[in-house]
This record gives sequence, C-alpha cells and structure tokens, in this order.
Amino acid sequence: MKAKVGVSALVLLFLGGLWLVAAPFAVGYQPRGAAYVDATVNDLWLGGSLAAVSFVALVIYAADALRELARRGKHAEN
Amino acid sequence: MIRKFVGAVAASLAVLAGLWLMIAPFALGTQPENADWTDPTLSEFFTGLGVAVVGLAGVISFAMALHEELVARGLVVVRPRVSEPEPEAVPSAPQASSAELATLLAPLVEALREDLNNTGEHRRNGKAPLVGVEENR
Repeated sequence: MKAKVGVSALVLLFLGGLWLVAAPFAVGYQPRGAAYVDATVNDLWLGGSLAAVSFVALVIYAADALRELARRGKHAEN
Repeated sequence: MIRKFVGAVAASLAVLAGLWLMIAPFALGTQPENADWTDPTLSEFFTGLGVAVVGLAGVISFAMALHEELVARGLVVVRPRVSEPEPEAVPSAPQASSAELATLLAPLVEALREDLNNTGEHRRNGKAPLVGVEENR
C-alpha cells in the first residue's frame, strides 16, 4: 500500500515534468520564433530531468516487480 | 527492495527540483523586484510547490515501505515501546508548621536578645558579643 502511494507520486512527478516542458509554450511566456528566455531554459531542463528521472524510476520499479514475480513462478513450478 | 530505494532517491531528487523551481524566478532574476508576480513566476512557483509536496509524499511512502520490508526480512528489529511506569509520588517530609518553627527558633531569638542587651560587656568565655563585633570595627 505504501509503495503504491510512492508509485503514484512517481507517476504524478512524471506528468509534472511533462507539464514543465510544455509550460513556457502553454502559458505563453516564450515568444514564438524568439530565442529561449531564461525561464524557458530553466523549465525545459528541469522538466526534462524530472520526467526522465521519474520514468527511469518507474521502469526500474516495474522491472524489479516483474523479476520477483518470475522468481515466485519458478518456485511454484518446482 | 532495490526498487523502493530507487523510488525514494528519485522522489528526493524531485523534492530538490521542486524547491529550486520555487526560488528560480527570484534567483535567475526573471521576476522584477517590487512588482506583481508575472506569469512565468506563478507557473514555476506553483508547479515547484506541487512537485515538492508530491516528492515529499513519495519519499515518505517509499521510506516507510522500505522499512516495512526490512522488518519483514528480519534485518531491522522493531523495539516495542515500553511504557515507563509513572514514578510514584514520594511522600514529602512533613513540613514544620509555623508554630513548630517558632518553638525551634525561640532559644536563638532569646540568645540574640540577651546579646543585644549586654552590648559592650564581655562574655564569660571571653569572646565579644556577636552584635558588638561588627559595631566596634
């Protein structure tokens, strides 16, 4: 149950990272065709990193859970 | 177990990122001083707040799950909280009443009074009276 809350938090963080990448264009503080302003650069880097880190964590979580599931299946066969 | 640890690390990094997002508009100077918050500031601040809160919830839940698993594997022993018994109230020594105190101090008061009355005279043992010593200096 506690780990499920953590996984939900990771999913939300991934979505938050995606929002940060889109925010400069969605909110409109990055003019089209102009060089990226400081806020845009900050949001892109931070949002991208946040989404990447939470995605990798989710993948590792899923992989480890699958490995444990496979191990249990192997024990059940024996 | 490793997946929970990875989750806790990722969530703690997210907490740091959220805190940075909250202060970034002021640190980078994109928010003018003495002015209302601009759109980028509002967006970054509240996104950062959300990221920090969600990250903190993730850290706490992953840490609790990790602790639970360590306890289940017997690697961590949870000491049961022993409720300490309330210390028994030590009966205080019976306090002397004011009447008993007066009875106890009566000889002393009497001696002092005699001493004051005999100021200037030597006592039988040859010592100066208690009060007179200070006055004669």
